[in-house]
Amino acid sequence: MHARSDRSPSGRFGLRGFLQRGALFTALWWVLAEGRADAWGIGAVSVLLATAASLALAPPGPGRLSAIGLLGFAAFFLAQSALGGIQVAARAFRPRMDLAPALVEVPITLPDGAARILLVNTLNLLPGTVSVGLRGDRLCMHVLDDRLPVAAEVRQVEARIARMLELPA
Amino acid sequence: MTPLEALSALLLLAGAAFYLAGTVGLLRFPDVYARLHALTKADNLGLGLIALGLALQAENPAAGLKILLVWPLVLVASAAVSFAIARRAHELGILPAGAESPAPPAPPPEGEARIMPPGDRA
Amino acid sequence: MTGLEAPLALFLLVNLLAALIRAARGPTPADRMLAALLFGTTGVGVLLLMAHSREAVAMPLVDTALVLALLAAIAGVAFARRAWQAAGRDDDAA
Repeated sequence: MHARSDRSPSGRFGLRGFLQRGALFTALWWVLAEGRADAWGIGAVSVLLATAASLALAPPGPGRLSAIGLLGFAAFFLAQSALGGIQVAARAFRPRMDLAPALVEVPITLPDGAARILLVNTLNLLPGTVSVGLRGDRLCMHVLDDRLPVAAEVRQVEARIARMLELPA
Repeated sequence: MTPLEALSALLLLAGAAFYLAGTVGLLRFPDVYARLHALTKADNLGLGLIALGLALQAENPAAGLKILLVWPLVLVASAAVSFAIARRAHELGILPAGAESPAPPAPPPEGEARIMPPGDRA
Repeated sequence: MTGLEAPLALFLLVNLLAALIRAARGPTPADRMLAALLFGTTGVGVLLLMAHSREAVAMPLVDTALVLALLAAIAGVAFARRAWQAAGRDDDAA
């Protein structure tokens, strides 16, 4: 949606993009119909329309997504968000909550656009951090406990996002 | 009760416990930023566990995946809304409780880290 | 069906109520915005549980939960885009 205008249209508009998106929407329909066989008539029409709309609205660009990077990010995210929930739950139930809240600013290196949006939103669900705002190349965050290594965690998330989007680190 | 049902029940109970933790955090935490931590992290884990517990009982894989599909959508919603709330709170000049020094809503961009602990023990 | 679904749905509903009262009391406008988060997570959790309880199997509540989650995601992203753009303006002004 953003940063799309400065990209030149690439030649990957053809059959490959159509098949990839089509497969994705077919799988989605299978899930939405809960595997029922009697709905494939409407399903075929829906899949075709969805594929056409998606190719028209978001044509496949040069932006790449590494499959291994995506799996790695998903696993990291699942484990860390579980840890985040456990940490905050433990503090909520403890008689003395032992919080050391603070606003911290951390420099970030990811380029503007999708990568940054993903970083800011991912950090909201990871242990101890809530994004408050971006100011230039610095991210302002609220942390529940400023004794924890927040900057190191941000750098780790940045590295994982860069690997997933195949950005130069 | 089959082992699968027992596992499902365990996940559902754990999920409900995290929802309770989110509510307790919401009631106890000192300011809006800390309450955001409670709601975004604890409630989302609660929903994930409940979705997983229900998906285990689904009649077929597609129906199970459909229940699990709800979770990432809610994650997107929570992350985005939480950023919007935190940013708005900062704009309104709301200070985090217990922060050592006030951070004005619009510090100059060339400023060094304000309340960043020195070295940020990694 | 473990028989836990309906009681847990009720439990989440009580949670939602307590949290909404807390959010409505503020004291700041930002606190009241927390209600938007609560409907996304707790509301969807209640619907999912009800969909699988013995009492309410006739209604397609999983679809309702899915649509509510989808709407919450779209509304949340629209909401955050405004905040994001405001942040961008700050950069330009500073």
